[in-house]
Amino acid sequence: MTQALDLPTKRQEEWRWSDMAALEAAAQSPMGDMPDADAWFIHGLDGPRLVFVDGEYQAKRSDPGPIRVEALPADTEHPLGRRAGGTGWMLRVGEGGAETCIQIVHLGSGGANHVPARIELAADATASLVETYVGTGWANRLTRIDLGRGARLMRSVRLLQSGGFVSLRDEATIGEAASLVSIVLGAGDMGSRIDGDLRLTGEGAFAEMGGALLTRDSQSQEAAVAVHHAQPEGSSRQIWRAVAADTSTASLAARVEVARDAQRTDGEQSLRGLLLKRTATVNLKPELEIFADDVKCAHGATVGELDKRALFYLESRGVPPARAQAMLTRAFVADALARIGEEAVREAFAADANRWLESAL
Amino acid sequence: MLKIENLHAEIDGKEILKGLDLEVKPGEIHAIMGPNGAGKSTLGYVLGGRPEYEVTQGSVTFQPNPVHAELVDAPSFSSGEGKSSPSTGSGRTEEEWVDLLTLEPHERAAVGMFLGFQYPVEIPGISNVQFLREALNSQRRARGEEPLSGSDFLKRARAQADALGMDQDMLKRPVNVGFSGGEKKRNEMVQMGIIDPRFAILDETDSGLDIDALKTVGEGINRIMRKPDKGVLLITHYQRLLEYVEPDAVHVLAAGRIVRSGGPELAVELEREGYQAAAA
Repeated sequence: MTQALDLPTKRQEEWRWSDMAALEAAAQSPMGDMPDADAWFIHGLDGPRLVFVDGEYQAKRSDPGPIRVEALPADTEHPLGRRAGGTGWMLRVGEGGAETCIQIVHLGSGGANHVPARIELAADATASLVETYVGTGWANRLTRIDLGRGARLMRSVRLLQSGGFVSLRDEATIGEAASLVSIVLGAGDMGSRIDGDLRLTGEGAFAEMGGALLTRDSQSQEAAVAVHHAQPEGSSRQIWRAVAADTSTASLAARVEVARDAQRTDGEQSLRGLLLKRTATVNLKPELEIFADDVKCAHGATVGELDKRALFYLESRGVPPARAQAMLTRAFVADALARIGEEAVREAFAADANRWLESAL
Repeated sequence: MLKIENLHAEIDGKEILKGLDLEVKPGEIHAIMGPNGAGKSTLGYVLGGRPEYEVTQGSVTFQPNPVHAELVDAPSFSSGEGKSSPSTGSGRTEEEWVDLLTLEPHERAAVGMFLGFQYPVEIPGISNVQFLREALNSQRRARGEEPLSGSDFLKRARAQADALGMDQDMLKRPVNVGFSGGEKKRNEMVQMGIIDPRFAILDETDSGLDIDALKTVGEGINRIMRKPDKGVLLITHYQRLLEYVEPDAVHVLAAGRIVRSGGPELAVELEREGYQAAAA
């Protein structure tokens, strides 16, 4: 069946945990009802708002501010990302400018939709944006990010589709002393594949990509992120948490590559999985490839269950078991979401995670 | 208010408690002393309901918490209300007993049991305040009481922290993370003050404390628990805590049973002569 769309197969190492059958099914799902877009904007964030319905920009329901909607090429080799050509959105911020609290809601009713995006920040420019995926169907995105010297981008993405599949391909170049922080929360019932390729092309650049994938029933979510350090003094963080219930699968592959010239690179990689049931699966694949000799790369990968001693401690103080589990699980994912800069966004993400925990436990 | 009869309990198929009998009446503080491996901590865990321990015989009955709304008297903010009078405004009567062993750990807490841990657990990512507010309000909900508001809770928590000489900032820190041994024990007592239980089982609360902290903790136990409608089981190795918290009875636990009981003087004798001689 995957032949029809010419999708990657499990025989390819990078795709061995992928659930392309779920993607295929989502792509062929019939169009149906549409959830309400307004309900998915985060209150307390006053900035530009964009709505896409089944991949189509909704001018009447949007207030795009500086964002332009235009045709963008899908200039990538990535097997999913290269499909995401056509009309998309572009944010360009000039030197020293700031565009914050941008919100984009992607609604899907079924079938497949593809949207390309570009974010270009000139020297010392700042931007922050939140993207929310709701509804169903296959939402496929390619986002190209270019950060000039000293530019800073804070990007938060939450995947809350009730079904279907979301695939994200991010490709970023991060210039001298620029900073990219990209946090993803997968707390819906869709399948997902989050793909990142971050290149630190200037000295002292900073890249962070991480988040939390929460899976239940027979759902499968995965993230596969590679960070390339090409210049000296760069630092990167990949803090991912996976929580898997029932017979679900959450997979994390994180790769750090340090080129010969990228001396004094400081990399941190922390992949941790929590199994809420023994029938669930968490796959972790941390990878380091280091060619420079003066490098600090901390890495850790662990999978476990909730600490029985901690559960008993909470329960012996009066906390009922389900609440105790929820508290410990929330604490487990908290540090992956703590990096989100804006308080309203951080709280919205925490509320999404809480909702998931309350229904999954 | 707590009656233990012929209690047998095991872990991993190994019997630790071998027919233990003990009764604590309201208003009493009992000390349990005994050599390593006698089953002291096991007794605490069994009463708290830790799942790994299996009770194979015997019974534990308990007179639950009559619902009482007044706060524990903490010197720093008390305005004289709610002193140590036994409370009556509850759905329960004083005479009612429950079979403790049929209750889940959180249900035991809700009926008024508090287990002070020998090794309090570190919980990264959950602050003391979050944890204790959740704990206290879970208990209150289980008893049909109104949950405490955030500000009322904080007032209560701060007063207890002050009374026990714990830095206010530690309330905001993750539960026991990075706390020294003594700070953890102090935190157990702060928790006890906030929760205000009817009965406390304190497992080696004195270990890891320096002299000053020992005195503060001892005074805390008296302040929070020395009341006509409360009871305490103090599990300890040494007599020194008993200089501050004077027990009404002292029991020697050896090989899973109480082998000797007496008044406070028994603790002094144990200290002087050792368990073997005293228990012989």
